[in-house]
Amino acid sequence: MTDPVSVESLLEEARLAKAMPPPEERLRLREAAGLTRAQVATAVGVARGTVLAWENGTSTPTPPGRLKYLQLLEGLAELHPAPVDPADNPIAALFNDQPYGTAPAPAAAETPAVAVPAALTGLETLRGPDGRAIEGDPGPCVRCGVETTYQSTDGRPLHSGAMCQPTTTAPSPAAPAAVPPAPAPVPAAAPAAAVSPVPAPVPTRPLRRSKSAERAEADLMGLIRGAVEQEAERAGGDEDAALEALIGRAIPDVMHLFNETRATARYEYTAYPALPDILHKPSKREPDQIWEARPAYNNPAYSMRAAQKDVKVTALDVNAAYLSALKVWLPIGKLEHTTGMDGVGPKRSGVHLITPAPWTHPHLPDPLGDRDTPGALWVTDATLRLLLRLSGPKWGLTEAPTVHESWTSGATENFLDALRKLLVAARSEAIEAGDKLLLEYVKAMYSKFVSTMGESVHNREMVRPDWMHLIHAQAFALHCGRAYKAHQAGLDVVALKHTDELHVTGGDWRQVFTEGRGVSELKIKTGDGKASGEYLVGKVGG
Amino acid sequence: MAGRWMEFGKYGAAGAPGGEALGIAMEGMVRGISSPVDSERGRAARLNYLTRSDAGYEAMDRAGVHVSPRTLMAWLAEERSPNKANLARLDAAYWDLRRRNVAADLKARLNNDGRGTRVEINPVNQRGVEQKYRRDLAPRSINVRGVWDRAVDAWMDDDQDELDAVWDEVLDLIGSDYDGYSFVSSVGWSA
Repeated sequence: MTDPVSVESLLEEARLAKAMPPPEERLRLREAAGLTRAQVATAVGVARGTVLAWENGTSTPTPPGRLKYLQLLEGLAELHPAPVDPADNPIAALFNDQPYGTAPAPAAAETPAVAVPAALTGLETLRGPDGRAIEGDPGPCVRCGVETTYQSTDGRPLHSGAMCQPTTTAPSPAAPAAVPPAPAPVPAAAPAAAVSPVPAPVPTRPLRRSKSAERAEADLMGLIRGAVEQEAERAGGDEDAALEALIGRAIPDVMHLFNETRATARYEYTAYPALPDILHKPSKREPDQIWEARPAYNNPAYSMRAAQKDVKVTALDVNAAYLSALKVWLPIGKLEHTTGMDGVGPKRSGVHLITPAPWTHPHLPDPLGDRDTPGALWVTDATLRLLLRLSGPKWGLTEAPTVHESWTSGATENFLDALRKLLVAARSEAIEAGDKLLLEYVKAMYSKFVSTMGESVHNREMVRPDWMHLIHAQAFALHCGRAYKAHQAGLDVVALKHTDELHVTGGDWRQVFTEGRGVSELKIKTGDGKASGEYLVGKVGG
Repeated sequence: MAGRWMEFGKYGAAGAPGGEALGIAMEGMVRGISSPVDSERGRAARLNYLTRSDAGYEAMDRAGVHVSPRTLMAWLAEERSPNKANLARLDAAYWDLRRRNVAADLKARLNNDGRGTRVEINPVNQRGVEQKYRRDLAPRSINVRGVWDRAVDAWMDDDQDELDAVWDEVLDLIGSDYDGYSFVSSVGWSA
């Protein structure tokens, strides 16, 4: 909003905010009017996901979109008044103690006649000088009755912002029947099943002592959602502040989740093993000796500086590359030294000193990445497995490398799998619900988990630089695999970069990969760089 | 020292005495200026740190940096730079003072309000040991409390005997297997 904010508009906004309907009502009003979220989002000037978040209560409307949104809601409430017959819509009837009132006429919002006790109208959250809500002694919220530590400005317990979830068990003392029933032409208001006043019987069967995998995962999902809700509430609707707080607590939280997924695990892992010198960083700035084989490949047959640019290239983006790479053979115990091929085996993992065979395919990325110096080098087991696969009968792209010595230990591929599945589930839930906070929180958790599991002052719970290298190398190996897959399906690989960029041409990539935002899918890379989306290059040389 | 490894390493086991490993793990907790002393930045930072307090001058004294105030001022103003021997002494003086200054913090972190710290103990490397002489040792994780003040003091004074005595107390917590852990390959903790 560029126009200067006047006192009148602020007053108007405050008046409307006082009468802001709860999330369910916002959704009902929009659906009753037959509007799509995209239409509302365009009119209000926010993203579609934000409207979704406002409607499912993940966040509360904040400026700059708030005034317009509230004006829209007020207008819609006039056109589609809320059904007030409790038999018709018992859920909505429970909301009648909310300040938005039943609003059959616009005047009701100004002077709530019956439904709202006067003491509950002007409640504001108590905030400190930094704008964050202040916590105090817990007590039942004056609005919804659920216990909260947040307070209103007059010192009574009250949920911060509009985060109150109205209770479904305790109907408000304000009698809904006192409001004259209004005609409610709402197509969606099907008669809901009668809510029994008797609580569901407690199962007499004894609970199983050990949790099933699904239940354990559901519990941990509750932890993740709880963290997001807690920070959203503490920030009182300020999404940036909530995100910052969530990113700040990502490392301890993910370590807690990791330990929880390990609770009934089979293997005891070593968190502080004696490390060989090759895995020690000589100083803070210098890296250790492990080559992670990061791809940085540009096909020499194509160039953006060619005279005639007529080849259309699609830049593809991998979703959550490091999250998928958590599935990798990880050494469980302390690394032990072996010479020759002794350390190489399907159930062993670690790091190996190898001399790779030369790579003779300029039209395909080298599995060892963009390497300048020839000779022997230390690689991880993930890279070695890729090299051995490529030298096998199926691919036959290169000779097997010579292994000189290894630091390995017995390994398992499922070590981080429970954590990976949990984070994948949380990620897809976030994408489905358009929940930006949850998505960014999950992203911070897995990326920081990987980047701090080595020698880091930010995470002292484990010192496993070997694992960090293995997960990085696995991400790169998976990425190379995508390039070979694309090539085998008849596409030309133009570039392969970082962990997540694959540029292809010469066919329909959708025949080879699935498009989408899931972890096994690819999407078209968006961005303002020259090589994003679909762009043109030219052929050079022969 | 506890334990009945009469001649450690006779059959090829590799490791270090527990007290020593304890000292190495505490050493790992100390962070300080990361630029090396022979870089301009590292040298200036160390000189600043050492000339900020009386303790700094005492540390330089202990490390054998005996120069006139004039020279010291010239170093600080970067008009002259210390020779190689004095650079090494400055570095030693810096880390000596740094250890003393962080000791209180280390004690607080390790004591953790009396709750102590969970220590992971990784047994000796027996890869080179013939099968019949191998001990049956697994990594252990035990909560250690009440000894950290002594341990940090001993580590600060480079008192190996006292560190060994502290390690004996840790071994008491392990139970009947204790003598297998008088030598270890590494210990670690999150504090």
